[in-house]
Amino acid sequence: MKRLSHLSPDECVLLTAARLLDGRIVWRGQDGRWFDRVAQATCLTAEESAAALEEATAQAARQGVMGVYPVVARKGAPPQPVSMKEHIRAFGPTVHPEFSYAPQPEASS
Amino acid sequence: MKLFNLSQQHIIPAEEADPVSLAELKEHPEAYAVALEPDESVEALRPFLAQITLVVLHFPIFRDGRAFTQARSLREYEDYKEEIRVTGHVLPDQAAFLRRCGVDTVVLSDDDDQTEWEAQLKRFTITYQQSIAS
Amino acid sequence: MKQPVGHYAYESRDREFLQERIAEFEDQVKRRLSGALSEEEFKPLRLMNGIYLQVHAYMLRVAIPYGILDSRQLRKLAHVAQRYDRGYGHFTTRQNIQFNWIALEDAPAILRDLAEADMHAIQTSGNCIRNITSDEYAGAARDELMDPRVHAEILRQWSTLHPEFTFLPRKFKIAISGSPEDRVAARFHDIGLLARPSENGPLFRVFVGGGLGRTPVVGQELFDSVPEAELLATLEATLRVYNAYGRRDNLYRARIKILVQTIGIEPFREAVKAELAKMDLSHYRLTPERVAAIRARFAAPELHAVDDADAVLAQHQKEDPDFARWVQSNTHPHFDEGYSIATVSLKTPGDIPGDVTAEQMDGLADIAERFAFSELRVTHLQNIVLGHVRKDQLYALWQGLKELNLAAPNIGLAGDIVSCPGLDYCTLANARSLPLARKLGARFGDARLQEEIGALSINISGCINACGHHHAGHIGILGVDKRGSEFYQILLGGQAGDHASIGAILGPALSEDDAVAAIARIIDHYLAHRNEQESFLEMVTRLGKAPFKEVAYETV
Ligand code: HEM
Ligand code: SF4
Repeated sequence: MKRLSHLSPDECVLLTAARLLDGRIVWRGQDGRWFDRVAQATCLTAEESAAALEEATAQAARQGVMGVYPVVARKGAPPQPVSMKEHIRAFGPTVHPEFSYAPQPEASS
Repeated sequence: MKLFNLSQQHIIPAEEADPVSLAELKEHPEAYAVALEPDESVEALRPFLAQITLVVLHFPIFRDGRAFTQARSLREYEDYKEEIRVTGHVLPDQAAFLRRCGVDTVVLSDDDDQTEWEAQLKRFTITYQQSIAS
Repeated sequence: MKQPVGHYAYESRDREFLQERIAEFEDQVKRRLSGALSEEEFKPLRLMNGIYLQVHAYMLRVAIPYGILDSRQLRKLAHVAQRYDRGYGHFTTRQNIQFNWIALEDAPAILRDLAEADMHAIQTSGNCIRNITSDEYAGAARDELMDPRVHAEILRQWSTLHPEFTFLPRKFKIAISGSPEDRVAARFHDIGLLARPSENGPLFRVFVGGGLGRTPVVGQELFDSVPEAELLATLEATLRVYNAYGRRDNLYRARIKILVQTIGIEPFREAVKAELAKMDLSHYRLTPERVAAIRARFAAPELHAVDDADAVLAQHQKEDPDFARWVQSNTHPHFDEGYSIATVSLKTPGDIPGDVTAEQMDGLADIAERFAFSELRVTHLQNIVLGHVRKDQLYALWQGLKELNLAAPNIGLAGDIVSCPGLDYCTLANARSLPLARKLGARFGDARLQEEIGALSINISGCINACGHHHAGHIGILGVDKRGSEFYQILLGGQAGDHASIGAILGPALSEDDAVAAIARIIDHYLAHRNEQESFLEMVTRLGKAPFKEVAYETV
């Protein structure tokens, strides 16, 4: 994945994980809670993300999530993960539009 | 450290056993307990088996299943009748497999819960293979 | 209940066993949710119950032993898809079905529902002996030497929770066929078995150490003629050697193929023989009585061909050219002249290869009941076979399939694409494979074009693990990651079967659209320059990859 130290000004870091009970993808947002919409993810700077990752990992078991890791995203509403893998995690499988999680952001290039 | 008895055979108490390594065995003909590493062959024990009453096998991690083959080989090929014990990282979910490969005892830490082991041992009444354990 | 045609009828002990297994898993799930089991400890336990954690949710892989389902079981799968998933399932090349949107908390309930139809998810994953696969034309094909399914069932039972082989260095896949044509890719399995009858009972040719993945290897012959009595002893001995000596320090070097390659087939064979020499073979003997007892739990189809079946079929073909085309590509000779083997393509152009909706499953279950003794076979090419269909009823069958949108006439042709789930669903993927499969499927969707191109297999994997068997496709496609973008390598000249070979990489990886265009040019080149009657694979074999490489990279 893209190195966190090489973020461009329009990029930020999101924290993501999988929910233990149903395996669904979650994003860390307000008050350190986990949400299933990427739109609710908190956009962090690289510096903020290191501490947040540590905290989230420590709390993961108690919060019922597993495998916390950082994702680089372009800022926006919703934020748009840069890699295709994270794009699919944020917005759903590209081959099943009926299962999409959220309206995709307007294509911006 | 405590022992969980899978087979209900007579066992050597935990504090009494002081197993030597395979290499040491050659210098200590009086030894009766030996600890085998997962990559050591049970055949190497053959010259000593007459005097040995405890073989300790090791799980570096529960996924490393070599001890199953070692235990079964000891019983089947070497006709070893005395105690086989396992140490290391093992899960209660492996209880029946261990038993069916001829293992008698499992070394648990003092705070390990034995009830889970007991439950697992009784879980399956139906099996699809014959077992080397009598 | 009547005994099922084509697979073993469960006894009460088999059902009790499933209940015990489910109770165990329910308890494991509880311990995981309570925190008593860490994810690291739980993972191998859930995997041995077919549960993965995938991109969007948990995934459940249900075993279809030797590929055979009855209508009742398919309806149960439809129920699971409907109730616990999103209304569909994905048939894989390993004769399993996968559900992609499962919740862990539901898993025990799903396993209970499946058990009602004698189904389970045991050993569909994990480092154990996996679901035994077999020949999709078993017990029906004209060229078959013997029906391998009775022995497949014996192997299923033998490998179920085997106490010694449940924590192997790596997964272990066994396939068995009774056809001289090797329809199971025996040489691409950890152990491949080719069964044949003899005066003294069945004999088994044993291949070992084949596999695809990141180190594709064609399996080598371990023994030429293992008698039935020694089949289980031989497998025990082989697995004992593997369990003791297979590498455990490196995930990617842990398969038996690496062990066989490292020490060589001759020393490996000696090691297996030494093991056999130590065993009391009488203890492991597979007796004729045991085989007969298992065979007695398989029902044979009662075939009643009508006299004029061929004439009726010919008349239907004449009246309906679309049907004639489907018969041409999607049927295979049955040993009984009045019957046919029909393949239902799960590759409707533009759809996802292997995906079947709950409605289609129910519809197929009805069709199997009406036309095929309620028996269905899942193939390693992600299709479904109906083993015994009266020729005079093929037309009605085909009309039923058309209503389900499952009548694509493309078996063995360009549209019969094998694809893994790729990045859309798989956490290990480098690139998506399903969009490419759909584009190629649509590109070559025209039935007449496919007929003209003739025999062609296209296989797509989203990463080097090769679940889409890209090495074994006449045209293979491998998704790679180039600095965060999806790219695709093209391979040419692979094949499974008796002349198994591994495809050669054509050149640098291409973007998705370029890869589709390059494949179109490769096929155009073949059409323009082939010799009379020459198949695509034959032309690649004759000319090598150079001329194809030239056209593939023409405009890039
Ligand atoms: C989406 C979940 C899946 C995951 C995580 C997964 C993972 C893997 C991995 C890691 C390997 C390589 C193992 C090795 O070489 O040691 C593998 C091999 C394989 N997979 Fe999958 N797979 C998945 C889905 C599928 C599907 C959908 C199919 C069928 C279409 C499939 C069929 C196979 C086959 C046939 C192999 C064997 C290659 C060989 O034995 O060398 N898998 N899989
Ligand atoms: S080949 Fe790779 S991407 Fe495809 S299913 Fe297998 S592991 Fe996933």
